Amino acid sequence: MRLMLHRLCSMHPKLRAYRADLVKSGALALQRAGHVSPAAAVVVHDGLETVAGIEWLAEDLRALELLDHNRVTEDGAEAVALTYVNVKAGWVVKRRLQRGDHADWLMENEDGSMAVEVSGTVAGDPLGRLGEKKRQVAECSLPVYRLAVVVGFERPSILAGSV
Amino acid sequence: MTDTAALAISEDELDTLVSIAIRRAEILDDEGSPAADDAWCEVSAYEQRLAAITSPSGIAGGVARVGAVRATLAAGHRAEAEHLAARYLAESQLPAERRAAVERVFQEDRDRLARHFPALARTGRLAEVAKWKASAAAQGSRVFPRAA
Repeated sequence: MRLMLHRLCSMHPKLRAYRADLVKSGALALQRAGHVSPAAAVVVHDGLETVAGIEWLAEDLRALELLDHNRVTEDGAEAVALTYVNVKAGWVVKRRLQRGDHADWLMENEDGSMAVEVSGTVAGDPLGRLGEKKRQVAECSLPVYRLAVVVGFERPSILAGSV
Repeated sequence: MTDTAALAISEDELDTLVSIAIRRAEILDDEGSPAADDAWCEVSAYEQRLAAITSPSGIAGGVARVGAVRATLAAGHRAEAEHLAARYLAESQLPAERRAAVERVFQEDRDRLARHFPALARTGRLAEVAKWKASAAAQGSRVFPRAA
C-alpha cells in the first residue's frame, strides 16, 4: 500500500481550500522524527497487520521553528490518516465535525458515511491512545460507520479500529 | 449575475467553509481568545445555511442542524440557540437520534457552566449566567468571562 501524502487534495477535493496545510504538517512530523520518504509504516487495522509505504515531498525543517509542535503532530496525523482511509476503502472527506460530535471528520464512499477520529503520537504508546480514541468515537451517535485512527511518528505506524 | 445567484453557495462549498470555520473556532477556544465568540457565529451561519438546503432526515442535514444549535450556543447566543432548536425539533423528519443530540447540546452546556461556576450550580442559579451575559452583550461589553 502506497500512501502518497502529496496527493491528499486529489483524494479529498474539499481539502483544497482548507487553510490548514495538512500535507506539510505530515511531512514535517515524519521528518522531525528522523524519517525520509518513503518510510515503511506498520498498519494494524482491526487487528490485521500489513505494511504501507508513506511518501511525501520533503519540507524545510526550519518551518518547525514557527509552528506549534502539537499542531504539527495532530495535523500530520490527519494527513496520514485521511490518505490511509482513502487508499484503503475510497473514503472521501465530506466535512469537518464539531468536537461535540465526538469525531473529527465525516466521510463518504459508495457504501455510506463514516465518522473518523484521528490522533497522532510523537512517542509513547499508540495502542493505548487508540483505545482512548475508540471510546471517544463510540460516543458519536450518528448512524454511520465509526473509526478511530492513531498515527505514530517515532516508529511510523497507523493503528485503526472500528467501533 | 443577480444578487441571489451571487449568494448561492453549493453544499460542497459550504462543507468546505464550515470545515475551515470549525477548525478556527476550536483553535481560538483552546487559546481562550475572546475572538472565539465571533468564530462560532461564523460556524453557526454556515451550519444554518447547510441546514436550509439539506433534508432533516439525511446525515448531512442532521449534522448541520445539531451543529447550528451547538455553534450558536458556543457563541453565547442562548436565546437564538433555543429558537433554532425549537425550529429543528419541529421538523417531523428529524430522526430521534438527532433530536436527542439537540437536547444533549444543552445538557452539555449546562454541565460546562456548572464546572466553571460551581457555587452558582450548587445554589441553582446557573440561569443567571446567561442573563448576565446577555445584559453585558446588549451594552456592548466584552468583559464577561469567556467561560460563560
